[in-house]
Amino acid sequence: MRRADKDDKPTVYQRVVLKNASPHHYMKIHLVLQDASTRLSAVELKQFIITGLKSLYGEVGAALNFDLLKYDEDTLTALLRVYSRGLVKLWSSLTLLGSYQNQACAFRVLQVSPFLLSLTGNSRDLQLD
Amino acid sequence: MVRLKSRYLLCEVIVSDRSRLLLLDDRAIASAVKAAVARIHGDYGAALCSIRFSVKYLNAHTGIVFLRFPKRCYKLLWSALPFITSVETHRQKIPCFLNCLHVGGTIRTCQKFLVQYNTRQLHQMLPKCKNEEEKRQVHKAILSCSLTRGNKDTIEDEPESEEDEEE
Amino acid sequence: MNMSVDLDQTPRSLLVCDWSSFLDDKNRVSSQVEQLHFNYKVSVLLPECSSAPAHLDSVLNSFSSFYLIRNLPIHELLDKQFLETAVYQGSVYGLSYRTRIDEDNCVALMPNGRLSLSLDKDSYQLLGVEGKPSRFSNRTNSRYVISIDLTDNSMAPGGRGYLRLLTGLMSRLHLTTDFLLSHHPGGGASLQPLLSRYDWSEHRPELHSHALTHLSCPELQSCDPHSFLEWLGAVDADISCENSSISFLSSLVCPEPKTTLSRVLRVSICGLLLPQDVHRLIQEIRCYLEQPQLESWLSLTVHGFVDSPVSWGGREHGVLRGGENFYTLLMFHDHTYHLHLATGAHDTCPP
Repeated sequence: MRRADKDDKPTVYQRVVLKNASPHHYMKIHLVLQDASTRLSAVELKQFIITGLKSLYGEVGAALNFDLLKYDEDTLTALLRVYSRGLVKLWSSLTLLGSYQNQACAFRVLQVSPFLLSLTGNSRDLQLD
Repeated sequence: MVRLKSRYLLCEVIVSDRSRLLLLDDRAIASAVKAAVARIHGDYGAALCSIRFSVKYLNAHTGIVFLRFPKRCYKLLWSALPFITSVETHRQKIPCFLNCLHVGGTIRTCQKFLVQYNTRQLHQMLPKCKNEEEKRQVHKAILSCSLTRGNKDTIEDEPESEEDEEE
Repeated sequence: MNMSVDLDQTPRSLLVCDWSSFLDDKNRVSSQVEQLHFNYKVSVLLPECSSAPAHLDSVLNSFSSFYLIRNLPIHELLDKQFLETAVYQGSVYGLSYRTRIDEDNCVALMPNGRLSLSLDKDSYQLLGVEGKPSRFSNRTNSRYVISIDLTDNSMAPGGRGYLRLLTGLMSRLHLTTDFLLSHHPGGGASLQPLLSRYDWSEHRPELHSHALTHLSCPELQSCDPHSFLEWLGAVDADISCENSSISFLSSLVCPEPKTTLSRVLRVSICGLLLPQDVHRLIQEIRCYLEQPQLESWLSLTVHGFVDSPVSWGGREHGVLRGGENFYTLLMFHDHTYHLHLATGAHDTCPP
């Protein structure tokens, strides 16, 4: 997975290329609820995602480790961190989560990246009006 | 033509009360496996378990089961088997667990293994025999252990029913 | 019928790490900075600093303005007067605005005079100019990339290639998009003839600064690149690293060994930013670092536009999941630096 090419004088110039080496992936998600006035706390959101994982991937899926790094209650937008190996499971269970407390809901996955840093500089947020 | 590859799991159903083994049937085992997979691996596992999964063979006397899983996901399905703690049949709950003895690519390799396994079991039984008559029967059973082209059931059932008597 | 059940597969990612010194002749920082043409955001992290030093502040405030033209027909970029006043004289940075490279047609005009069009299949066939299938459209070839050197002889006004493209854009494919434009060194004056014909507005890059206190910080010289970038991302996104391993919500922690910084200043600037300005900022930061002070490092992160058809140089870029193309320059007191360049799924390796 890794390729490294080093110069003659490694102390002076060194170049390393890391391929697929990122241990985590980060997701920026937005929850859309049928009733926009519903409030969700961070703990409720994480619990909700875990129930989604449990229904799609069972008890093994519910044990998947992921972190809720940041959550904005007003916009229902959250940043998640998950081990790269669990990304597909987490993403697919988010996609299939269709109802929260008997009201229709959907998760919009806004951005997924192996670098947390790239989630802070998304040019799609540029507003010039 | 490409063959759809499968994996056959040769499992032993272990119960505390052996007489209740006779209550088991294919359907009960299949639904117990499906329920365990659905609990451990959720909808995803249940979906994988709905394609080409079947209980190919069940010997209610010895509790030997052949399970067929698609090759590409047998490990995932296999991992749910230890979570089976009971099988429900005829409205009765039989506490039991599945002990996997062998994993093979064809039924035939599993059958070969089973014959070997049973022979080994009979050998272990020999020193425990209480009288000459028992010893003679076990000897006879060991000698008859061989895989012929004939009917599979007759070969296997014979030594296995002997085994039943001994215990 | 590959119905793969390998759910553990990870998407591709690429991170290049350079360790070198500004004093080394072979360092390529300036070329690496200049090759990323379309910069969206620059953020600087200043440790042990509560307000930006005057020199840095003046550089940040002197970043060039950029222009937004509404509903620009793309054939206007081939206008003879525009070519002569802007493209042949200096560098034009142009990028279609609010077009998504995974859905829409995207256009970029690079400072070396190359016009890059990333088009869907229908538009590509309508235009009738030769291009290449995109690396991002898989086997279906639903997207094509056309790259044209406007400074080439055949593209001189009146030339064959020029006329072919012009008639294509004027009569067959009416490609109209909002367009961001900037010029170095001429600024707005060089672009005025084009701007005056359309609805346009001038924009200043937006500056934000934010002071943080009591921030845990890893040992930067020895920290592994992914952990460092994670920590930096957490600082940029205002995510707390003060979690315990048993907490339910998040177990993100600052990599060990760590120290605590009493105060940190985070300055960021957004807009269509020119590599020349970024370069000037780096020079100013190097001067700033030469002064003796408490902390002897500084980090600078530059994010490219996610929907730009090119990343470094003319290399094709796409979005897929994240569209990342950014670099982080971590500079130290002794003129050494760590440079981390990251791109997304199918991009080629950064320079």
